[in-house]
Amino acid sequence: MASSEGSFGSSMHGVTGREQTFAFSIASPEVPTDSTAKFALPVDSEHKAKVIKIFSFAQPHMRAFHLSWISFFTCFVSTFAAAPLVPIIRDNLDLTRSDIGNAGVASVSGSIFSRLVMGVVCDLIGPRYGCAFVNLLAAPIVFCISFISSAEGYIAVRFMIGFSLATFVSCQFWTSTMFNSKIIGLVNGTTGGWGDMGGGVTQLLMPFLFHVIKLAGATPFTAWRIAFFIPGWLHLIVGIMVLTLGQDLPDGNLSTLQKKGDVTKDKFSEVFKHAVTNYRTWIFVLLYGYSMGVELCINNVIAEYFYDRFDLKLHTAGVVAATFGMANFAARPFGGYASDLSARKFGMRGRLWTLWIVQTLGGVFCIWLGRANSLPIAIFAMILFSIGAQAACGATYGIIPFISRRSLGLISGLTGAGGNFGGGVTQLLFFSGSRFSTATGLTWMGVMTVACTLPVALVHFPQWGSMFLPASKDAKHSEEYYYESEWNEEEKQKGLHHGSIKFAENSRSERGKRAALASAPTPPNSTPSHV
Amino acid sequence: MKSHLLTAFLLLFCLAQTGDGGVLFSSLPQTLVVTASIKQGQVLIAGEDSITLTWGLNQSFVGRTDESYKEVKVKLCYAPISQVDRKWRKTVNDLSKDKTCQFIMVNKPYQKLDQSFKWSVEKEVPTGTYFVRAYAYDSAGEEVAYGQNSDAKKSSNLFEVQGISGRHLSLDVASVCFSAFALVSLIGFFLVENNKKKRSTDN
Repeated sequence: MASSEGSFGSSMHGVTGREQTFAFSIASPEVPTDSTAKFALPVDSEHKAKVIKIFSFAQPHMRAFHLSWISFFTCFVSTFAAAPLVPIIRDNLDLTRSDIGNAGVASVSGSIFSRLVMGVVCDLIGPRYGCAFVNLLAAPIVFCISFISSAEGYIAVRFMIGFSLATFVSCQFWTSTMFNSKIIGLVNGTTGGWGDMGGGVTQLLMPFLFHVIKLAGATPFTAWRIAFFIPGWLHLIVGIMVLTLGQDLPDGNLSTLQKKGDVTKDKFSEVFKHAVTNYRTWIFVLLYGYSMGVELCINNVIAEYFYDRFDLKLHTAGVVAATFGMANFAARPFGGYASDLSARKFGMRGRLWTLWIVQTLGGVFCIWLGRANSLPIAIFAMILFSIGAQAACGATYGIIPFISRRSLGLISGLTGAGGNFGGGVTQLLFFSGSRFSTATGLTWMGVMTVACTLPVALVHFPQWGSMFLPASKDAKHSEEYYYESEWNEEEKQKGLHHGSIKFAENSRSERGKRAALASAPTPPNSTPSHV
Repeated sequence: MKSHLLTAFLLLFCLAQTGDGGVLFSSLPQTLVVTASIKQGQVLIAGEDSITLTWGLNQSFVGRTDESYKEVKVKLCYAPISQVDRKWRKTVNDLSKDKTCQFIMVNKPYQKLDQSFKWSVEKEVPTGTYFVRAYAYDSAGEEVAYGQNSDAKKSSNLFEVQGISGRHLSLDVASVCFSAFALVSLIGFFLVENNKKKRSTDN
């Protein structure tokens, strides 16, 4: 890692939790350990953990790690719980293909809005309440499944359950407050990937529960309703666990710290302005729609596809579909890791190329999946496609922290929402109505993915370059210039921008091998910026 | 004699259809007569009602038409109106891919005499409009003939089934109880933590 740290104790590394770091260096020797703090893990000056201990549940860091990914995982399970049971539900409720397609669109559209709101909620009242709130409100909605008797009711309930995907934002926000930025890439990729895995586990879990409940004597049209009680109970349990066991920040809960004045707040209007006026934000909103969005689409249609096209039993179709979602366990962290690895040598340009390569490959394998006529080839294509799409998700969030330092939370939320928006649009275009068969829909979705990944080439950082253009040789275009330009003169006089300067210094690692040329570190400044 | 040769040839032709894909529906002769005891516009309630089915060889086919018939399956089939915008119920000529008839009502060995059966509408049958079709199978398990109670366009003698809702009072009650618990927990925690905060700032 570059030599951007200055004298001992002057590094502001980890202050914001938003500096990108290398995923493979889990222990960070350059960041001084605060030895006065009594935590189970070594922490930095902000009391953020420098190390992950996967099998620990110690308060507060590892506990937050596990609570955040488990709560996100539960929301994925219930959002896609209906998908593997659609062959039963469609007969019970007399659904048409349009109804099923609309329900799929509805299930991913709700969270477009809720993810944006969750970003604000996390800032105002903390990720713990945001996460628990969503889970304890999702529980009654999931229990409502027992009341559904028409297509409209089905679509409405799936829409409302979809709101729970907002926990993606609380999950990533919570781990960012708990873990030092040198390891945050791996932490975020792991929690994001393990949460996404819920979409795969549900394809196995729900048919299994349905089968067991049928064996216990229930008729099919009742058994699927009873099966939904399990995701409902999971929401209840997780929500209560988060409230009783969780903690917003390493030092305590947010409301307590805000009262003491330890944490300051930025102006929402400024954060909003700097997020929406940065063109890169919108390119990533589009891109994430064709990595995460595609994944959401597939979670909704793949079990039914294998059941109908290859005449598999419901249970078997669920197993096949599950392998898609389960690949998240390793594929998403791998994407983040590959991004970090390429950044070591090629800097930001490497990250952009990595993203383009994996996401395009994902699209190509999706086309192959749609064209495959035999079961073994279809499964093989699906596995390669899943690795490509999920690694692209991980690689995307390897670049997001660098787009803006001031508006990171909102940009993360916007990108996350873009993922859902893309998923909803794609589901509407190709998997609703009778215009395309599911196989043709998959092919066209792959084509659209390849096409919509091309805009990666347009993302240009003056200080680092883009896919085809090198960094600007103009001395004006340094990292400092880029990140300082988010603050106006008045704010700079108040010293609000110092965090950005520190971040800029640390981000010099994105130059790649050129990062070996270090500049003199700026004098230490102890104003902590907003978390 | 001529009709013997014709039907024999047709049968041979049907048997020769084995190999890639299944038997083609268009190749099957309609030699069976099927009736179902339904009244005009009747709606059957799943889990409660029942109808009587009768099937047998059409007596106008004399001789050894039915020599190869070993087994008969009477199936419940979706009428066109229940197939609209539902590709999983599509009618396909290749019987190995055809999804029109998804429920087997009766499965019996073939007999020369007409047979009948009282079929109760099972709870698994979904809401929809149906007709009844019988397939005759040879010893290799392949379709060799059929008959149905509706016309060729599947527009007459149709009947409706009203499927069960799948809902139960006990489920509804359990659902309300757990939902209430979730909301009470959330509000409860908010209040408890607010009280704690108030007490700590008051001190």
